Amino acid sequence: MDQTKTKGYKQVKQWLKTHKRKPFQFQEEAWQYYLNGYSGLVNAPTGFGKTFSLFLAVVIEALNASENSNKKAKDRLQLIWITPLRSLAKDIARAMRETLLELELDWHVGVRNGDTSQAEKVQQKKSMPEILLITPESLHLLLAQKGSSTLFKNLKCIVADEWHELLGSKRGVLVELAVSRIKGLQKQEKQQFLRVWGISATIGNIEEALDVLEPDADTKRIIVKADLEKKILIKSILPDDIETLPWAGHLGLKLAYKLLPIIEKSKTTLIFINTRGQSEMWYQHLLNIEPELAGRIAIHHGSIDFELRNWIEDALHTGQLKAVIATSSLDLGVDFKPVDTVVQVGSPKGVARFLQRAGRSGHSPHETSKIYFLPTHALELVEAAAIKEAAKTNNIESREPFIMVFDTLVQYLVTLAIGDGFDDKVIYNEVKNTHAFKMILPEEWSWVMQFITSGGDSLSAYNEFKKVTKDEDGLWKVKSRQLAMRHRLHIGTIVSDAMLKVKFLSGGYVGMVEEYFVTRLKAGDNFRLAGRVLEFIHVKDMTVIVRNSKQKNAISPSWNGGRLPLSSNLGSVLRKKYNEALDKTHQDEELDVVYPLFLLQEKRSHVPRNDELLIELINNKEGFHLFAYPFEGRLVHEVLAALVAYRLSKLLPISFSIAMNDYGFELLSETEIPMDESIAYEVFSPKNLTEDITLSINSTEMARRKFRDIACISGLVFQGYPGKYVANKHLQSSAGLFFNVFSDYDPHNLLLRQAYDEVFYQQLEEPRLAAALERIQYGAIVITHPKSFTPLSFPIKVDSLRENMSSEELEQRISRMKAESDKIK
Amino acid sequence: MTITSHGEELILDKERALYLPQHQLLAISDLHLGKSAHFRQAGVQVPATIGQSDMQRLSGLIEKYRPKTLLITGDMFHHGLNTDIDDFSDWRNAYADLKLLLVKGNHDKLSHADYASMQIEIHDPSFCLGPFCFIHDAPKNDADELYPISGHIHPGVTIVGKAKQRLKFPCFYFGNSYAVLPAFSLFTGLYNVYPKNNERIFAVTPKAVVEV
Repeated sequence: MDQTKTKGYKQVKQWLKTHKRKPFQFQEEAWQYYLNGYSGLVNAPTGFGKTFSLFLAVVIEALNASENSNKKAKDRLQLIWITPLRSLAKDIARAMRETLLELELDWHVGVRNGDTSQAEKVQQKKSMPEILLITPESLHLLLAQKGSSTLFKNLKCIVADEWHELLGSKRGVLVELAVSRIKGLQKQEKQQFLRVWGISATIGNIEEALDVLEPDADTKRIIVKADLEKKILIKSILPDDIETLPWAGHLGLKLAYKLLPIIEKSKTTLIFINTRGQSEMWYQHLLNIEPELAGRIAIHHGSIDFELRNWIEDALHTGQLKAVIATSSLDLGVDFKPVDTVVQVGSPKGVARFLQRAGRSGHSPHETSKIYFLPTHALELVEAAAIKEAAKTNNIESREPFIMVFDTLVQYLVTLAIGDGFDDKVIYNEVKNTHAFKMILPEEWSWVMQFITSGGDSLSAYNEFKKVTKDEDGLWKVKSRQLAMRHRLHIGTIVSDAMLKVKFLSGGYVGMVEEYFVTRLKAGDNFRLAGRVLEFIHVKDMTVIVRNSKQKNAISPSWNGGRLPLSSNLGSVLRKKYNEALDKTHQDEELDVVYPLFLLQEKRSHVPRNDELLIELINNKEGFHLFAYPFEGRLVHEVLAALVAYRLSKLLPISFSIAMNDYGFELLSETEIPMDESIAYEVFSPKNLTEDITLSINSTEMARRKFRDIACISGLVFQGYPGKYVANKHLQSSAGLFFNVFSDYDPHNLLLRQAYDEVFYQQLEEPRLAAALERIQYGAIVITHPKSFTPLSFPIKVDSLRENMSSEELEQRISRMKAESDKIK
Repeated sequence: MTITSHGEELILDKERALYLPQHQLLAISDLHLGKSAHFRQAGVQVPATIGQSDMQRLSGLIEKYRPKTLLITGDMFHHGLNTDIDDFSDWRNAYADLKLLLVKGNHDKLSHADYASMQIEIHDPSFCLGPFCFIHDAPKNDADELYPISGHIHPGVTIVGKAKQRLKFPCFYFGNSYAVLPAFSLFTGLYNVYPKNNERIFAVTPKAVVEV
């Protein structure tokens, strides 16, 4: 059907015309494909109306359809719009409502996520809106409701907005599973109008992104690409003198004064900081150095109260704010027109994220996005140069989809069992047709079913286990209300520590802090949240009660966010930049500034060339340090360091503490580390790689750490939940304990295997590691013995996140550690 | 490892138990019987073998020391009756001659009849013997002349060495004003204790008990 002849298309075209707008070509294409029954993916830069490319497609179809008013309230749902961030939903809903009103289409738009009030959720249950904006977690919560299976009867389309953002996480798997269920429900009803569409920024694996969202090769699928290019201007904020910048650190406050003129001459500036804790410090610092900014800047992150965040977002729209300090909470999609400048503080760790953030400014088509990079330590200037180059060559990362995540599957099946129950044969087929579980074996499926119904593979070992049981109607269900309630509180795959709400004594919420942080506070202590200094009074009913403090300075809570590793794309560009820096074969002003540091590195040790591996051996009162610099990114270094430590520990009994960053890693021991050229080639050899990696992973904590998330997602460990703390002391335990228990008593547990697999396949990227070792074998290994720390080694040395590896007898180790500490006393 | 405290010889066993040879008394704490079954009933997958292995370890200790009395300083039962407790009753019958004392802990909420049926002698709040007073949670400021030996907190110790090395173990704590036994059950976590000067800590490693 040619859409241009349709009533709906003409109406929409006319409406756009009255606003002096014309559809982009990719939008018209998307509408046409949608009308022809295609599923697909829209790939367009931010600011070009990605939302309208799909929203209007559904609207056109609705306008074309003859009036149909006797729809039952319950199954009015036409379009599910999945957004990764709560903050996106509100703005998209507003834009949709305005459009619907002007097009005189009597549709309701509802928002459903963690911020939605209970009353509104109940109202939605009675009468679903036609369009529902929802997060992946809330979509699963919807499936966990009784009677939910009838909601999707007339659903026409599911859109996964910012799909690139969801794809590389277990949240993407949540979307895959929910889509598979909704498709299955329509199939049962012999209704099949459902089309599944994604909206994605440019990523390295765009075809795969579509394949994950719509894995059925028999459906009509298409990628609609916008042939538009966003202009981006990248500029580094350079210190006048390299001495200004520290060799390590994450804060970068020393250059803050250079931001003031940028803020002043811009309309509105978004300042992206990598962590919530640091953003609080930046906010305070900017006010300290420029009190004039008071009332004109704000702070926005995920732990700030919903109402406050709303206020800030509104103020951003209306241009009342000169600058907002933000974390990834403002990363995506929302269109703040007044924002014309973006500042990135510290390394964004990847090209895609950097470009995404840049796109937050100059949001309208054909405007130029402007982003400044502010380094927090000296070597980050090299990263800046690398990012600029990678952005220029469009060297954008892939987002690897998660597969075979049994924790998420376990959670999903219990979710269904809480809702209307499920038939295991039907669900097996649906699950097997998703991208994430297409490789699942029948015995693995049986194991998962056993795990939720009888506890585990050995019946006797799990007697009295109660969770999912078969009902009289033959469906698997959860009978216990208590169990159902607990499960609902834990739906989702984002694992965080227990969070407590922070509230003023006089009323009004400020935000949230981690329980761990609160346990260290005494009455009268001051801390910073949402840019205010607060005095801690007490904890009552799982709420932290505070009052405004007159103090200027206070501690900032640290929220335990994950650390982002450098992407491999950026890593290889970085290696190249190190070579260019010393040779001065470059055009980058950043590298000129950092040049003296390279001279110092060369003087104290050596600057590694592309075909060289540098090893530095430093001996001081802390012990014997070995630093190596493969430039492969933090995750690969973690595995590589464990591998090298393991191989060294086979030579003699020795204990290491291990640290790493994106450039290299450190092994630290109290006894001398055996190292010369021949040992180096041996421990960095690609021979016996798989076997040695397995053994080294077993002897460190890597799998155990992965298991933390797995234990929460699969429901073994209960984390707290903001405001809704389930006090059940008798069921308290820890992921570490479960890791031990399963290792000792149920080693075939698939969740345990998943922990090892996650290290092996997601973290390790074995081909990347093998290639790195191959490169090292055929290149030169340079061993130096610097007298003190070098510009390269210092940032690793101060890193506190550490791994351990030992081949010594435990008792011997204790007595030696004790002897050492006695000497120190 | 054998130590002397308040004039009495004490044997610290790596199976997280304390033996008093003069009294032929074996003391353990925080057995948490029924914990794994309690988790299973609530839909959390904890294998029963972990409870069974606790009982095997206890049998091993009884064969080793052949005590007249087994004393449990609290938290013998985790929650209510369940299949784990049935297993324990069978175990109890196999050691019918053994005198079993329980100093009540915060988890021990079974009925008198239940305790009686398993021939458990209840002491609340404490049981005193020679220079010692066994109690579940040691009083913070006691004027008592007897030295309290307690449990409850599941003590652990972190040993920090040169070159940023760290090791964490369950431990026995012998402080100036009271002592704490490690939790006997393997399905328990650890709470770090920090010794003051002259206080003694004994780490429990898989192979031995080591003073640190």
